[in-house]
Amino acid sequence: MAALDFLVELGTAELPPKSLSALSKAFSKGILDGLKAELGRDADKLLADITLESFATPRRLAVRISSLLTEIPGSVNLVQGPPIKICYDADGNPTKALLGFAKKNNTELDQLSERGGKISYAQQIAAKPIAAILPSIVEKSLAKLPIAKRMRWGSSRIEFVRPVQWLVMLFGEQVIDCTILGATASNKSRGHRFHHSAELTITTAGEYENLLEKAYVITSFAKRRAMINSQVLAQAKKINGTAHIEADLLDEVTGLNEWPVALTGQFDQEFLSVPQEALILSMKEHQKYFYTTDQDGKLMPYFITVSNIESKDPKKVISGNEKVIKPRLADAVFFFENDKKTSLAARTAQLKNIIFQKELGTVYDKSERNSILAGFISELIAGSKEKAQRAALLAKADLITDMVFEFTDLQGLMGYHYALHDGEDSEVAQAIYEQYLPKFAGDQLPQTKTGLALALADRLDTLTGMFGIGQPPTGSKDPFALRRATLGVLRIIIEKQLDLDLKQLVTLAVEQHSAIKPTDRAAIIKQVVDFMLERLRAYYDDRGIKVDTYLSVAALQPSKPLDFDKRISAVQHFRSLSAASSLAAANKRVANIIAKQTVSSTVTVDRALLSEAAEIELYDTLLQLSTALKPLYAAGDYQAALVLLADIQQPIDAFFDNVMVMAEDQKVQQNRIRLLSELRELFLQIADISLLN
Amino acid sequence: MTATPTTKGATFQGLILALQSYWSEHGCVIIQPLDMEVGAGTFHPATFLRAIGPESWRAAYVQPSRRPTDGRYGENPNRLQHYYQFQTVLKPSPDNIQELYLGSLQALGIDPLVHDIRFVEDNWESPTLGAWGLGWEVWLDGMEVSQFTYFQQVGGLECYPITGELTYGLERLAMYVQDVDSVYDLVWTINPDGTPITYGDVFHQNEVEQSTYNFQHADVTHLLSSFDFHERECAKLLAANLPLPAYEQTLKASHTFNLLDARKAISVTERQRYILRVRTLTRGVAEAYLNSRAKLGFPLAEESIRLEALAALQENK
Repeated sequence: MAALDFLVELGTAELPPKSLSALSKAFSKGILDGLKAELGRDADKLLADITLESFATPRRLAVRISSLLTEIPGSVNLVQGPPIKICYDADGNPTKALLGFAKKNNTELDQLSERGGKISYAQQIAAKPIAAILPSIVEKSLAKLPIAKRMRWGSSRIEFVRPVQWLVMLFGEQVIDCTILGATASNKSRGHRFHHSAELTITTAGEYENLLEKAYVITSFAKRRAMINSQVLAQAKKINGTAHIEADLLDEVTGLNEWPVALTGQFDQEFLSVPQEALILSMKEHQKYFYTTDQDGKLMPYFITVSNIESKDPKKVISGNEKVIKPRLADAVFFFENDKKTSLAARTAQLKNIIFQKELGTVYDKSERNSILAGFISELIAGSKEKAQRAALLAKADLITDMVFEFTDLQGLMGYHYALHDGEDSEVAQAIYEQYLPKFAGDQLPQTKTGLALALADRLDTLTGMFGIGQPPTGSKDPFALRRATLGVLRIIIEKQLDLDLKQLVTLAVEQHSAIKPTDRAAIIKQVVDFMLERLRAYYDDRGIKVDTYLSVAALQPSKPLDFDKRISAVQHFRSLSAASSLAAANKRVANIIAKQTVSSTVTVDRALLSEAAEIELYDTLLQLSTALKPLYAAGDYQAALVLLADIQQPIDAFFDNVMVMAEDQKVQQNRIRLLSELRELFLQIADISLLN
Repeated sequence: MTATPTTKGATFQGLILALQSYWSEHGCVIIQPLDMEVGAGTFHPATFLRAIGPESWRAAYVQPSRRPTDGRYGENPNRLQHYYQFQTVLKPSPDNIQELYLGSLQALGIDPLVHDIRFVEDNWESPTLGAWGLGWEVWLDGMEVSQFTYFQQVGGLECYPITGELTYGLERLAMYVQDVDSVYDLVWTINPDGTPITYGDVFHQNEVEQSTYNFQHADVTHLLSSFDFHERECAKLLAANLPLPAYEQTLKASHTFNLLDARKAISVTERQRYILRVRTLTRGVAEAYLNSRAKLGFPLAEESIRLEALAALQENK
């Protein structure tokens, strides 16, 4: 089948750099999906030979599909009609049903035939040149791009991310005649805005990136990204530093250049007196600069900027950038020095003016609640009550410093620096930094006991408060990020191995809220604890633990996360034993039998009523096991307990094979049920094994 | 960059003159600054009101702008409570608007093959004007020297055709061109004897005194009642079908609010309410202005757009 190369390039005014990569991916996907939809059933076969490449720069989105077949092959589409028996009347004349079917398909009666008792029409679909449908495929893909806000320009009603300026649509050497988003297709592209202002004629799709490269445009996003990465590394090497290249900044800078040229600038040593995170943020957020560190990991007084020009005089570009960064860093120094003049302790009063949440009071009120809670938690984990209370009271004071006002991301970190400057205890200072940990999935956890207590208290206070005023997260709405806060609490407790009970913590947190009426407390405590336990599902899911393992433990509602975690590990281990699946099945069977019965918990098994060898053996094994298990349960060694319990597999299987539970004698029957019930109770000390699949 | 005496932007006034003559050559009405206190060039009726409705418009002007909270008593080299913007509006925004803008930088002696000039995404929204637009900030070797916006909505009304707004921060641009670190060191012009008159000579005393007024002396009680007065006056004028005087009352209310803000006389929750009150005024003005232009038959509109707009208004009645 004949095939040609297809190229589409949409030229625009400068696109948003942060979304460029996403736009490019969606554009390519939209075109491919469009082709597949047009090609129908055989799409994958017909597209087997193509190669799809995406290109994206600030001024263009392009896609090339190599070896695209030139036409959609013809096909036959069988349309089913009415049953044959209603198609002709007694005289053999066509009925309305038949005539109607022919008319609907725009065909004559002699084109119809019978197939399996029904009239059917073999509709011939002619082969169609693919060039004819490419414009609408491109158009639809552009219409579906993920654009937060579309804009209009000039006196046009057309909408796009930014004004559209040109369109290249090339199939083989032919321009596909069309107009999309107001731009008429041609084979004329444009090069770099300043290095190559003349139009550029593209003869074939294959030469696209080479031709553009001669016009100072690196069209491939990935290639440009790699170039910037290596240029920045090379610049850093020249000053004997290590460049720090974060993926999101690298993406953004790639979205800001067509012809990247990395340059190194300098700033005064004296700025290094400011905590380096502030300087780094200032360079990154405002100026999109990369920073470097020396052998000791200390920030160096340099920045690396990536310009979009091979300047005739790079020194001017560098000195211009140095001029910009200087007042920015000077601001940071000014904020830092100025902030230090007022101690955190002196600032806390101002927190009374900041609303945390209308019904939950000011940030000051929250700090006071946090303080009581943190003190309590600290005692529970053998930390210092006083330090935790002090840290909680000071923890939010950095929110009203100039530095944090300017760089919100520095909250906690500036509090740490200012606390040290104020002469606060070093663990108190450290805790102020650690209160926000973990900030994201996989982030580090607090290290100090004071930090652990504060991090837990802060989250528990917010969580109980929001539930208390009837604003739990719903669906996608979670403005206070309560899900993340909960996961933080769980991670801290489990991974730091803290012996804490959620019920106890939540109860204390709820009691601190004057917004929660005492009569509502019990209900809210239950709601919050349930919500938290439910979040464990996501926690374990992230760790690749099967959901039925989670469910088997969750069924018991253990409210100590660490204890929960031990049970999960035990069940995990249990599943690897050979007896596991048969025991799970047996437990399910037992659970089903018991579910239909009312079993009195006060009556125990009567040994005298047991007659069959298998039930006697099961009972004796059970007795032995209960004794052996007691110390293991007491020690919380669920893994060893389950391993021990696995021994019961054979007696159970033998029991079910040889003993009729539903004996005619009611007393015997009840006794057997009681026996099974005791067996089940033994398992339920750890997890509901019957839930395992 | 080092400025040579022959560079057009070598003095502050030279920079303004060069921009004026450039945009004059490109068919703009060179209008004079609005004689009232405003926070930015966007508030000038030549931008805000002309962006409304179907009429074409091209204008350029300098606008002294006042932002009381930005005052620093003349002590900060970059922050001023009174500064200048140079504003160009082109409606409908022409396809080559970016090239026209770049031409203006070249007219100031800035060589785009030496300097790194970039259009970096920046979206604009003004709650008080009921307006938003998309565009860029323009970077010159990493320094933001202009704002570039395609208005999508103004005074709560959808824009059509679209106005392209170019706003040059004159002091910043001049500091860059003249290579000075403090705004007060900018050369405003050269005396006949060859000595410079600086920005500081012209404006430093003003910064000190006005900052003192804004932060310490502005009479809060009186300002609160004048805000109410301008709001009432605006409503009255709108009822009398006088959108232009009504708009001036809106500007007075807006500046009064800014002064109250500088005096920290408005709490966080109150602040939002004041913003909404100003927005209500600007929306009323925008609608009244559109109707008043419609009555005149939108004389400056391109014919097909004029007819379309009139028909649309007729339909809505």
